[in-house]
Amino acid sequence: MAAVEEIAGTLQAQEVQPIVLDDSRWEKVLAATGGWAAACLQCGLCSGVCPWGRVRSPDAPPVSVRHMVRAAQLGLGFDALPAGAPLWLCTTCRLCEVRCPRGVPVTEVVLGLRELAWQEPWLSEQVPPELAGVLWDVYWDGNPWGRPPSQRTVWARDLDLPSYDPASHEALYYVGCTAAYDRRAQQIARALVHVLRAAGIAFGTLGEAEPCCGDAAHSFGQRGYLAELVAANTRLFRERAGVPAEAGAALTPLLTTSPHCYDMFEQHYPGLRGVFRPVHYTQYLAELVEAGRLSFSARLPLQVTFHDPCVLGRGNGEFEAPRRLLQAIPGVELVEMAANRAEALCCGGGGGRMWLETPANERFGQLRLAQAQVTGASVLATACPYCVACLDDAVKVDAGNRPASAAGEDRGQGRASMRVLDVAEIAWMALSGPLPDTAPGISPGGTP
Amino acid sequence: MTAAKTTTTAPGPEPLGLSAYGAGDALGLWVWLEHHGGVLENVGRELLGKGRLLADQLGAPLVGVLLGRREDLLVPAAEAVALAADEVVLVAHPLLAQYTTDAYTKAFDRIVRAEKPAILLLGATPDGRDLAGRLAVRLYTGLTADCTDLAIEPQTGLLLSRVAGFGGGIEALIKCPWHRPQMATVRPGVFATPVPRPPAAGTGVIRELAVTLTPTDVRVEVLERAVLSGAGLGAAPAVVIGGGGTRGDFRLLGDLAELLGGQVGASRVAVDQGWIGRERQIGQTGTVVRPKLAIACGVSGASQFTVGIDAADTVIAINTDAEAPICEVADYAVVDDLFRVLPPLLAELGHRVKGS
Amino acid sequence: MQRDQSPTPHGTRMPGAGHAAIGPLHIVVCIKAVPKPEEVRVNLETRTLDRGSARTEINPADQHALEMALALRDRYGGRVSLLSMGPPLFIPYLRVGLAMGADDAYLLSDRAFGGADTLATSYTLAKGVERIGRETGGYDLVLCGEESSDGATAQVPPGLAEWLGVPQAMYAGAVSLEAARSGAASNGRRLRVRREIKGGHEVLRLPLPAVLSVATGANVPRFFDPARRPWAAAAHVVVWDAAALAVDPTLVGTFGSATQVAAVEQAGRAERRRVVIRGTPAEEARALATVIRGVLGNGQAAPRSPS
Ligand SMILES: Cc1cc2nc3c(=O)[nH]c(=O)nc-3n(C[C@H](O)[C@H](O)[C@H](O)COP(=O)(O)OP(=O)(O)OC[C@H]3O[C@@H](n4cnc5c(N)ncnc54)[C@H](O)[C@@H]3O)c2cc1C
Ligand SMILES: Cc1cc2nc3c(=O)[nH]c(=O)nc-3n(C[C@H](O)[C@H](O)[C@H](O)COP(=O)(O)OP(=O)(O)OC[C@H]3O[C@@H](n4cnc5c(N)ncnc54)[C@H](O)[C@@H]3O)c2cc1C
Ligand code: SF4
Ligand code: SF4
Repeated sequence: MAAVEEIAGTLQAQEVQPIVLDDSRWEKVLAATGGWAAACLQCGLCSGVCPWGRVRSPDAPPVSVRHMVRAAQLGLGFDALPAGAPLWLCTTCRLCEVRCPRGVPVTEVVLGLRELAWQEPWLSEQVPPELAGVLWDVYWDGNPWGRPPSQRTVWARDLDLPSYDPASHEALYYVGCTAAYDRRAQQIARALVHVLRAAGIAFGTLGEAEPCCGDAAHSFGQRGYLAELVAANTRLFRERAGVPAEAGAALTPLLTTSPHCYDMFEQHYPGLRGVFRPVHYTQYLAELVEAGRLSFSARLPLQVTFHDPCVLGRGNGEFEAPRRLLQAIPGVELVEMAANRAEALCCGGGGGRMWLETPANERFGQLRLAQAQVTGASVLATACPYCVACLDDAVKVDAGNRPASAAGEDRGQGRASMRVLDVAEIAWMALSGPLPDTAPGISPGGTP
Repeated sequence: MTAAKTTTTAPGPEPLGLSAYGAGDALGLWVWLEHHGGVLENVGRELLGKGRLLADQLGAPLVGVLLGRREDLLVPAAEAVALAADEVVLVAHPLLAQYTTDAYTKAFDRIVRAEKPAILLLGATPDGRDLAGRLAVRLYTGLTADCTDLAIEPQTGLLLSRVAGFGGGIEALIKCPWHRPQMATVRPGVFATPVPRPPAAGTGVIRELAVTLTPTDVRVEVLERAVLSGAGLGAAPAVVIGGGGTRGDFRLLGDLAELLGGQVGASRVAVDQGWIGRERQIGQTGTVVRPKLAIACGVSGASQFTVGIDAADTVIAINTDAEAPICEVADYAVVDDLFRVLPPLLAELGHRVKGS
Repeated sequence: MQRDQSPTPHGTRMPGAGHAAIGPLHIVVCIKAVPKPEEVRVNLETRTLDRGSARTEINPADQHALEMALALRDRYGGRVSLLSMGPPLFIPYLRVGLAMGADDAYLLSDRAFGGADTLATSYTLAKGVERIGRETGGYDLVLCGEESSDGATAQVPPGLAEWLGVPQAMYAGAVSLEAARSGAASNGRRLRVRREIKGGHEVLRLPLPAVLSVATGANVPRFFDPARRPWAAAAHVVVWDAAALAVDPTLVGTFGSATQVAAVEQAGRAERRRVVIRGTPAEEARALATVIRGVLGNGQAAPRSPS
């Protein structure tokens, strides 16, 4: 507490001193935030709703969007702030944006300030050093997980996925780095492949040539590098698209596992307009259901609650497609959490937080799991590899916190009352009966 | 010191360049016995053991070389003779009391030029690699690095060094046909530590060589040297890692780590439960370790965890669940309860229960 | 970690405040481009290395060396030059280093340099360092990576120091400049180096110029500055051949190499072995103990030998 007061004191001391506004800094802040830094009223509503306020102990002041904007307005470094390094805590969940009376796109402001932090010495101490390593991984290996590019397709070795061919395929499946390399997320991609095949969709992938969409670079505020990635990837996608589509013709869907990749292609790749139609797989499968190409006949008796991935829901306004898909499965009963759709709580994995450590008692996933448990559902469904990772982790921590008797004799089994599944996995369960098949020797969901 | 002869007997073109002497003059297998204040680095013993076999194959003498203060040299010299050496060369000088590149390179250069060994082996320790890299250029000869095996090529009598490259994915056999001495640094732990020979089986001579060194030879001052027991997690040769499956009991893991001269690590779940400190966390948001051996006990093997052990030479998993992903990224997976496997394993490895 | 991210090329930076008096430093960083280790295969027919399909990167350790150089320049002012020996296809990697913040780049490239072992490589690099020094009014420090990820000998840095006749320190973790008590040598400056050694560390003081290898893990290499990329892409990379360096032709390339590769083999380390061990706990323990002894060698797992 003493330390906090001291820092707060520092802030006050700086505020009572005559503040000489540094115009060049202010201009940079304005430019980096698209002018939005000026719009903020300093009302503090955003700080009030931010989930960090709920997970951080009273000793650690909540992430204050207001303070960050204020400090930037004054041309002060963030070390002047009482909350440590709030800039890198933000998960870009956009919960606060829903509340802001001035319509400030807080996420844009945060990413703009992050961009500045890489460049400006007065902010740069704020960049967590490990993030540079993640960017190097994207640069050298083509994925933010630092895994060999030659192993990108190992997850699908037995699936015989064809290379995308515009002449014979009706969709290009962009698997994404996390689904390609993360052992848990690979299950999502495998389930999706089976569902697409069950629906008779002819599709291909880019195989080992599949590039990183740039989500990590984007969420770290590395706009300059993102621009390089976008330019190179746009070139690649356009080359692979074949003959340009005629005006008015339906565009080939560019289908993604992760809503993060979908968001990137939809929002940050202007050069793909008129070439591909970016679509999240939940949207695509919902379309297939509505077009009568995908149907579920067998019953799958499951009580499911759905966690909205921020970037799909608030980020791209898609709240209904995953729900429509779940409800198309006979037997699936969807029970909503109190905080759903635009009010949904973030899992904690966005905004670059997948690459940064968060103390166990400060993880949003823990709160979200508790909200899901209240519904009484047995499955916590979501539609994003990051959400699955964070919520799975919350289930494990939760199980470990229970008394040994409740956790069961073998910690590896039946210790959690709730199971985290991706919607694609549930869809495949509905089609196939048993659990989603596994990659050679990989168990589904980490909870056998 | 004898003047360097210029005659050589090896066939073919001899790009000897600036070399001090050629194959025809060279005789003997030398081993640098690195020590700290008279306490031998074990790799020196290992090299004496292997060197004995190679020297016998060549019919050449095996010579241990000790540099340092005289009072530090006599005990290790006697041990070297007891273990394997035909001869131990002592170079005693106050300026050699602790390792410095300048003094050691100069001293070695002098004695090698005078004595003309055919082979010079050093342990691939930080100091060994520092010294060998510089000395090889001063002597203008070939050096192989961090070797994992040594042999004598039957037809030629040349030293064949096995070295690993490309992260261990490629191995090469390297030789040094013309230049002498044939130098190699050898990875600690690849050869067995020899047991002392019976007193009758071998005798050795201890001989001292003099070198002239002056303080101006040493350009680098050692201000501080702190050798702690036990390397940190990142540098440990073995890491024993516990996960959710330990249920918080890390005692057996600690015993195993100690026995292996390694460290204890943990998955994030184990850290989150407060079973062990955050600084022990292995993985994406913890430490990435590159030990020779990682033993994961009761860890399921989530990707966020396995990135932390991808660089380990060998991975062992102990897990009750044969389907756990960790078994996919393990070289050896024991499908069993860790609490049933670790006690007999500790016993196998010679662990004595404390107090008995 | 303060960083100068200005996209302007060298020569205009202000020395770091407070340390200006002791600076500036001209640092040469040796950079090697290497294939990604896990993608190199042995061609079983020709028994040679097949690097063709492998992606190439800057040797990871050299990125740490470059980061240390840039951090020193940020602190003391001066100039960072990149030096590499290799084919022209190394040039794009030097440009990545320029985008990270280096001021200029030199490539030593000649067919005659091909097939060099560490003896010939360190000689050739030394000739490059000497020429850079002559053309720029001297060098203060040469930084190398701890070892390459391909040859992995760690022999080039000490060899380079010997050819240059300057002191060395390997596995440097932290480096700072301090004023020398006396002497016009090294402009009245000395280097204080913390060096990582087995199970501990050492602090050394050495005169300039010197050669250091930088411990991997000593720092986190900064990501390149996207704003410098256009400049770096167009920057002039100086290329010197054997004649330009006036090397002794008998000391470079295959001819100047003392070692020869007798054979290469795939070590089959690309994938884990995935051996499943099942049995009674005693049987399992015995099998594991054998594995452990094999991996760690007798030196570690066996009872200590008498000493
Ligand atoms: C952003 C983010 C970052 C993360 N970073 C990290 C990180 O850096 N490091 C990390 O480790 N994790 C990290 N995680 C968490 C990771 O996803 C996993 O949740 C975690 O690694 C699981 O730990 P575990 O394997 O110990 O536990 P569990 O998954 O609970 O596994 C326990 C295992 O023990 C086995 N078992 C049970 N009893 C026994 C017994 N008696 N004998 C033998 N085996 C037994 C079970 O079969 C099971 O496989 C991160 C997650 C996120 C979302
Ligand atoms: C599998 C394998 C094993 C080998 N074993 C040996 C051996 O035992 N003995 C031997 O003499 N040669 C050996 N070589 C050849 C050796 O790799 C080459 O001599 C190479 O040019 C330099 O050695 P290195 O890669 O080991 O560099 P290292 O000495 O490991 O490199 C350390 C640092 O020196 C600098 N550096 C190295 N090379 C260059 C360069 N070309 N340009 C700029 N900077 C550079 C970098 O900063 C680098 O980080 C081997 C090669 C292979 C592929
Ligand atoms: S976007 Fe989410 S995490 Fe970021 S400040 Fe707003 S509410 Fe907080
Ligand atoms: S809610 Fe909007 S106006 Fe209010 S402090 Fe936050 S960003 Fe500023």
